[in-house]
Amino acid sequence: MRAHVALLTAVVLVAGCGTGSPGAAPPTAVPPTAAPVAATPSNASSAGAFSPTDIAWLQLTAAMTQRLLPVLDLVPTRTTDPTWRRLAVEVRASNRADLTRSRQLLGEAGAPTTNPHEGHDMPGMVTADELAALRSASGKTFHRLLAAHLRAYLTQTTRVATAEQKSGANPATTALATTVITTNQTHLNNLP
Amino acid sequence: MDRAAPLSHLPRRLRLVTAIGALLALLGTYLVSTTDRADAAPVANVIRVAEFPADCTYSHRLPDDPIVFPGLPGASHMHSFFGSTVTNGNTTLPDLVKSTSTCNPAVDVSSYWVPTLYRDNVPVEPAIATFYYLGEGVRSDVVANTQPLPQGLRLVAGNAKATGPNDSIARWSCLHAGQVPPSKDFVNCPAGTMLESYLDFPQCWNGRDLDSPDHKSHLAYPVNQACPSTHPVHVPKLRQVLRYPVSGDPSHFRLASGPGYTMHGDFFNAWPTAEMARRVQDCIRPVIKCGHDGRPI
Repeated sequence: MRAHVALLTAVVLVAGCGTGSPGAAPPTAVPPTAAPVAATPSNASSAGAFSPTDIAWLQLTAAMTQRLLPVLDLVPTRTTDPTWRRLAVEVRASNRADLTRSRQLLGEAGAPTTNPHEGHDMPGMVTADELAALRSASGKTFHRLLAAHLRAYLTQTTRVATAEQKSGANPATTALATTVITTNQTHLNNLP
Repeated sequence: MDRAAPLSHLPRRLRLVTAIGALLALLGTYLVSTTDRADAAPVANVIRVAEFPADCTYSHRLPDDPIVFPGLPGASHMHSFFGSTVTNGNTTLPDLVKSTSTCNPAVDVSSYWVPTLYRDNVPVEPAIATFYYLGEGVRSDVVANTQPLPQGLRLVAGNAKATGPNDSIARWSCLHAGQVPPSKDFVNCPAGTMLESYLDFPQCWNGRDLDSPDHKSHLAYPVNQACPSTHPVHVPKLRQVLRYPVSGDPSHFRLASGPGYTMHGDFFNAWPTAEMARRVQDCIRPVIKCGHDGRPI
C-alpha cells in the first residue's frame, strides 16, 4: 500500500511538472521525463513483493543479530556458570538462524544486506566500548552486564519484529518476524 | 496543490494548474523585466545571495525514522524532530501535508530530524534550527535553471555509520567564536558561545525518484560547479544549521548515533508545491536573498 502511495505521488508529480512548467518559469531546464520509479526495490522471484518496511526490518535484523555474535562468543571464555552457558548456546542457535534467513530474504529482494543509516549506537546493539567492558569483566559483574545486554537485545528485537508483523507486506518476512517474537520471548523468560 | 489527490480529480486540478500557470507566466514576465532593469541600472537594493530560509524550533523526540525505518516505530536511535509536529515511524506525505509546523514560515510542514545530542546523557535540543535553501556551489547558469524540490522527496545527508572524521561531512563550530577552528567532531566552545552543527544536503537530483534504497543516491553533490549527467536536475541546496545552547569540554557530548562525526540529517519535503516553486523563482534563480515569507529582504 505504501508503494502505491509513493507511485501515485510520483505519477501526480510528473504530471504536475509537465502541465505546470510551460508558464512556471523563465529559463527552465525540463527534468527528464523518464517513467516514475517508486522507492520500492523491485523483485520478481518471491511471492509477495517486499515493501520498504520489509527491507528496513530485514536489514536491521541482520545487523542486530550479527552484532550480538561476539557477545555470545565471549560467554564460555568468561563464565563457567552452566545456566549462562546453556542460555548463550540457545540464543546463538536462534540468532544464527535469524541472521541466515534475513540475509536470504534480502537476497531475494535484491536489497543490500546493510542499512546505510544504522549507526554505531542503535537500541539493542552492543557498542564497541560495551564489548570491551564485557571482555575484561568476570564473575557477577560479567553476569550482570550480559543480562542487561541480552535483555536490551531481546526486548528491542521483539518490539521491532512486532512492528514488522503489523506493517510488513512480504509473507515470508512477516513469518520470520513471528518466529523472532516467539523465540526471543522464550529467551527473555529464560533469563536468570 | 495536493499531490496525493485522487486521479479522478485530475481534470479539475489541471484547470486549476493551467490557471495558476497563466498567473505565474504573468508574474514571470514581470520578474524578468524587473530583473533586466536591475541589471541595466544596478540600483536594486536586493541582496545578491540565492537564499530562502525556514527557522524551526524543536518539536519532539522519538526513536523513529519514517525514511530509513518506515513502519517500524522504535527501530531507530533517538531523533529530534523539527517542522511538522506529527512525524513518527509511520508518517507518510499526506500526514505531513495536513499537519502543523514549528517552522517560520508555518507553510513549511516538511519534517526534518537529526540524532539527539546528549550532554552527560541528558538530551539537549537546539535553541534554533535553520534550514537554508541555497543556490550556490554551482555555476550561475546552473543556479538560473534551479528546479523546485519535489514534494514527497525523502533524503538523508551525512553518515550515521561514520567510523572516523574521514568518512564524514559533518562540521562543528562555535557561534560567535570564529577563532575556534571548525572540525568534523565536536569542538570546545568558549563559555557564553553556542555549539553549532552545519550539514549540506546534495543539490543534484536524478529527476525521477522521490527516494532510493539507501535514501541518498537519487541525489548527488555537484562536480566541477555543475550537476553530473546522472543527476542533471539542479535543486536548491538544503543547509541545516543547528545551534545548541552548550559549550565547553566536548567529552561530555555524544549523539544518539555516536561521536560528533556521525551527525546526519533526514529531510521529508512537504512544502506546498506553489510555495516552493515561488521561492525558487523569486529567490534562487534570480539570486535574491529572501526572508521567511519568500520575499526579498
